[in-house]
Amino acid sequence: MELSDIQIIERTLGGETDAFNVLVRRWERQIYGLTLRMLGRDEEAKDATQETFLSAYRNLSKFRGEAKFSSWIYRIALNICNTRLRSRSKFTISLDEQRELSGFELADDTDDLGSGIQQEQITRHVRRALQGLPSDMRQVIIMKEYEGLKFSEIAEVLGIPISTVKTRMYTGLSELRKRLGHLREAI
Amino acid sequence: MSNKQETSNCDMHEELVSYLYNEATAEESTRVAAHLTECTACKQELHSFERVRGMLQQWQLDDLPVVRIVAERAPSERSMLAVLKELSSMTPLWAKVFGAVAMALVVLAVIGTDVTVGSNGISFRADLLRRDRDVRPAGVVDSGSQSGPNIEQVRTEVKSLVNQLIADRERQQRDEIKAQLVSLESQLQNMHSADLAKLATRIQEQQARLRTIQQDIDRREGLDLTDILFSDGGTPRERSTSGGSD
Repeated sequence: MELSDIQIIERTLGGETDAFNVLVRRWERQIYGLTLRMLGRDEEAKDATQETFLSAYRNLSKFRGEAKFSSWIYRIALNICNTRLRSRSKFTISLDEQRELSGFELADDTDDLGSGIQQEQITRHVRRALQGLPSDMRQVIIMKEYEGLKFSEIAEVLGIPISTVKTRMYTGLSELRKRLGHLREAI
Repeated sequence: MSNKQETSNCDMHEELVSYLYNEATAEESTRVAAHLTECTACKQELHSFERVRGMLQQWQLDDLPVVRIVAERAPSERSMLAVLKELSSMTPLWAKVFGAVAMALVVLAVIGTDVTVGSNGISFRADLLRRDRDVRPAGVVDSGSQSGPNIEQVRTEVKSLVNQLIADRERQQRDEIKAQLVSLESQLQNMHSADLAKLATRIQEQQARLRTIQQDIDRREGLDLTDILFSDGGTPRERSTSGGSD
């Protein structure tokens, strides 16, 4: 019988330190997906994932069990991502990232999208479009679209009302519709 | 769908999102479905959102990072070093000194050191075998335990050997002291005998001299002054000889 997250945490706190690796294996894909889509850089996402689990391990005794472990570790990961995003300097990001963050249109390599666009190209444009969104909208869309959280769970992670989550979702989708409109014929 | 497409003006944004993700209640679903049959803008917006969702799903993960937490201790436990550092930072200086003295006394007690404070001041005495001496009389070997007999026997043998060596050394020292005393006494006696002999010799010499002087005096008492002044050469030479020996 598979142990629950709470049971694994209790075992870890009881001295079975290897038990925490079960939690890591159970959640690393989700956390990595969150950090990668929030940060947009593979290596930085891996570092943030590692940092997330280390932070969770070190603060495991502070986990009260009132919320789900997934909500708790998602919150840790988002805090780490937001800290990294704030520390980014305009001088350290690429020109494409600067243009996307400034609200400019995407690059001009979309001329051939109408005839047989490749999935890799779509992925690149989706990636750029997401990076161009404000962080509060981006994290809601990522948790909903890729992590499959319910609106109530997202609200719990972020500590905001459900109505605010839905408003951010609606605004974010509207923004993405503008940014990805040129891919209409390709889908 | 156009890049310039505006959002719906209908105040149903939250319900539309809930409907899009199948999280709307039954009542909300009925209301949104009815609205969509009447509002083309909302219907187009819903379809455009569905297409955006399709695009977002194109971005899937290729690989996973290898994340392993190497745990050295339970996360709820703090390292002893961290605890000591925090304790040290919070402890006043007098408490640190007191603690250090207490720790030193504990160490001294463990290694069997007696600390005595008396009229002669503070004295220390370390004796690693003191515990055995206190526990049982010397020479008694405990054969009850599995590992004890050999150690206890060795200790007893060592102690008896040391005691024997000490006794032999003390006896040897006593003999040497006795011999030295006898030698000194003999030397003192010899010194006295020699001194007495020398004194007797000197006394004898002085007695002989006194006799010589007396004889000379007696011989001179039989002559008058003219005999001395007008005697031949034999008499002055005799006088000179007697005066030279004086």
